[in-house]
Amino acid sequence: MSTTTNQPNNGSAIDQYIAAKILDEINRTIPETENKDAIVQKLCKTVKEDIESDIHFQIENLVREIQKERIKEVKRLAKEKEKAAEYFLPRFSLMFRAQHAIMFVSVILLVITGLPVKFHQSDIARLFFSITGGIQVTAFIHRIGAFGLGIVSAIHLFYIVFTKEGRGDFFQFIPTPKDVRDVIMNLKYFFGLSKAKPMFARFSYVEKFDYWAVYWGMVIMLGSGVLLTFETNAMNLLSKELIDIAKEMHSDEALLATLAIVIWHFYNVHFNPKKFPINMSFWTGKIRLDEMIEEHPLELKKLIQENKIDKSKIEKIRQLDKDFFKNVGLE
Amino acid sequence: MKTRLNLLFASVALSAVLAANAIAQEDDPSLDISKRCTICHTKEEFKQKYTSDGTRSVYVDIVKFRKSVHGKRGCQECHDDISQIPHGKEVAKVNCIKCHNVANKIGAPVTEKYEQYENSVHGRAASAGNKEAPHCKDCHGTHEIRRPDDPASLVFKNNIPEDCGKCHKEVLALYKKSIHWKALSRGDSNAPVCTDCHGEHNILKPVENGSTVSSTNIVQTCSRCHADERIMSKYGIQSEQVDTYKESFHGIASEFGYITVAKCNSCHGFHNILPPDDPDSTVNARNLAKTCGQAKCHPGATENFTKGRMHVSANKKESGKIYWIKTAFTWLTILVMAGLVGHIVLDMFNKIKEKKKENEHHNKSAK
Repeated sequence: MSTTTNQPNNGSAIDQYIAAKILDEINRTIPETENKDAIVQKLCKTVKEDIESDIHFQIENLVREIQKERIKEVKRLAKEKEKAAEYFLPRFSLMFRAQHAIMFVSVILLVITGLPVKFHQSDIARLFFSITGGIQVTAFIHRIGAFGLGIVSAIHLFYIVFTKEGRGDFFQFIPTPKDVRDVIMNLKYFFGLSKAKPMFARFSYVEKFDYWAVYWGMVIMLGSGVLLTFETNAMNLLSKELIDIAKEMHSDEALLATLAIVIWHFYNVHFNPKKFPINMSFWTGKIRLDEMIEEHPLELKKLIQENKIDKSKIEKIRQLDKDFFKNVGLE
Repeated sequence: MKTRLNLLFASVALSAVLAANAIAQEDDPSLDISKRCTICHTKEEFKQKYTSDGTRSVYVDIVKFRKSVHGKRGCQECHDDISQIPHGKEVAKVNCIKCHNVANKIGAPVTEKYEQYENSVHGRAASAGNKEAPHCKDCHGTHEIRRPDDPASLVFKNNIPEDCGKCHKEVLALYKKSIHWKALSRGDSNAPVCTDCHGEHNILKPVENGSTVSSTNIVQTCSRCHADERIMSKYGIQSEQVDTYKESFHGIASEFGYITVAKCNSCHGFHNILPPDDPDSTVNARNLAKTCGQAKCHPGATENFTKGRMHVSANKKESGKIYWIKTAFTWLTILVMAGLVGHIVLDMFNKIKEKKKENEHHNKSAK
C-alpha cells in the first residue's frame, strides 16, 4: 500500500489500473467526450486522495485497538498480582468473633431503643414510639439488648482470665509507651513531616482505643443500667440521688458511645477508603497477607519468628513488599 | 309572742284578700301577670316549704330578681305552664333551652356550652334519669342569675367552690384544706377553683380520656399555671417543675404509653394539695416515703428512697453532683469526638492521596 502513496506519478501498476478503469467507465457512459485524458488525470487524483485518507483512518483505529489491548493486559497482570496476595492469615478466633457479634447485635438494639428516650422531644422519637407500639415495647427490647451485653461481659471476663488466648489478647490490648510514639509518628506522617509510617503489632493504638472505650462504656452502662432496671430496690438500698446520677451517666455515656461507634468505628471498618464498604475480618476471622504487611507488620514478624508461617508464604511476602524483612529488622 | 301571732294572722288574712283581688283581676289584660305572681310569691311565709315534696321554698326575692339578668322578663316567660292563678302545687321545671337556643328571637345568649353540658357527666346523668343530676339552675341559680363576672353571681370564680360544694360536699371539705383554697380566700384571682381544673359545662369523669384531669391530660392541665413563669414567680414556685417532670422517667414513660406512671397528682395529691413545707403535704419530707411507697407505685419505699432532690435538673448548678457529672460528660464527649474526627479527617486525606499515587503508577505502567 505504501507504494501507492509514495509514488505520485503514473509509474505504479495501481495507478495504471485506476486510470484504465476510469477510462473504461468514461468510454462506456460518455464515449463522445473530448479531452478524456484530462478528465482521467483529474479523477485519478481525487480517487487517490480518498484512498489515502481512508488508510490513515484505518491505521488510527488499529493503533487505538492495540493500546486498549495493552491496558487490559496491564490490568490483568495487576489483578493477578493482587490475587497472588490473596493469602490469608488468621486474625480473630471464633470466640473473639462471637463476642463481637453478640455485642454489636445487643448494642444496635440498645441504641435504637435508647436514643429515642434521650431525645424524646424530637419528632423522630414520637414516630418511633408510635410505630413500635409504645415505650413498654421498646423498654422490653432494650432489656433484651442489655441482657446480651451482660452475657458478653461475663463471657469476656471469663475469656481474659481463664483462657490462654484471651489472656494473650488482653495483654496485647494494654497500652504501652510505644502507642504514644505511634500516635506521634502517625501524626507526623499525616502532616507530611515524615515519610515513615508507624509499624503496629497485633493491635494498633486505634484498636486499643476501641477496646478500652468499650470497656469503660460497659462498666458505666451496665452499672447504671442495672441500678435503673431495679430502681425501687436501688433507691431503697442507696438513695434517689444516686439513681439520678446513674440516669444522667447512662444518658450521657450512651451518646458518647453511640458517636464513637457511628463515627470512629464505622470509619475505621466501613468508610475508610481502603476498607470500604466493609472490613470482613470480623466475619471470616482472617486478614489478607498484604493487609497484614501494611497494618500489622510486627505481628507478622512475630509469626515468622515463631515459625507459624509456611515457606511459600514467606516467598509471597517478599513478592508483595521486598523491603518487609529489612523494615521489621529480620535481615 | 301573741303580737307576732296576731301579725302573722293579719298578714295571712291580708294576703288572702289580695289573692282574692288578684283572682278577681285575672281577666284584666291591662295588668301584668308578673305583678300578680309577686302578690303571693314575695310573701315571707312562701319561704316555707310549699311544694308537694316539701323540699323547696317558692319565695321569690323580687329585689334580687329585678337585678338579675332576667330581671326584665316576666314570670310566665319561663314558667310557661302556668296559665291561671292560683295554680296547683305541681309546677313544671323551667326549660332554659326554650330561650337559649339558636332560633330564639329575643336575644338570649347562645353558646356551645349548652351542647357541652349535654355531653358532660352531669348532662348525661340527667338525661339518663338521675334526679340528683344538676341542671342549669343548680349551678347558676334561679331567679337570682347574674353574669359570671358579677361578684354576686353564684358562678363568679370565688363563689364556684361553694357552688359545686352544694353537692360535692366532701370534695369541698378537702379543697378547703388546700393551698389553692387558702390563696383564693385571700382574694387571689390566680388560685384555681373547681372549674379551672375540671372544666365547666364540658366536665367529664376523671377516668374518661377527654377529661382535663384524666391521667393523659392532668400534666397539661396543671402546667397551664405551673409552667407559667409569670404566675409562679409571684409565689416563689419554680415553673421549671413541669419541664423537669417531662424529662424524668415518669414524664417520658407517661408521654409514650405508660398509663400507671406517676403524674403530678400521684405525688402531690389533688383537692387537698399543699406545699412541700406543710407537714400535712403528701410531698413533705416526712410523708414522702409513704407517698412514693403507695401500693401501686413503689411498695416498700424507705427513707433512702427520698434522699436527693425531686424535680432535679442536670442543667442547673444548684443540682450539685448531677450538674457536674453532666458537665464533665459534655466536655469529655466534645474533646474525644474532636480528637477522633480530627484523626479521621487526616487519615482520609492521606489514604486518598496514597490511592491517587497508586492509580497514577498504574496509568504510567499502562502507557
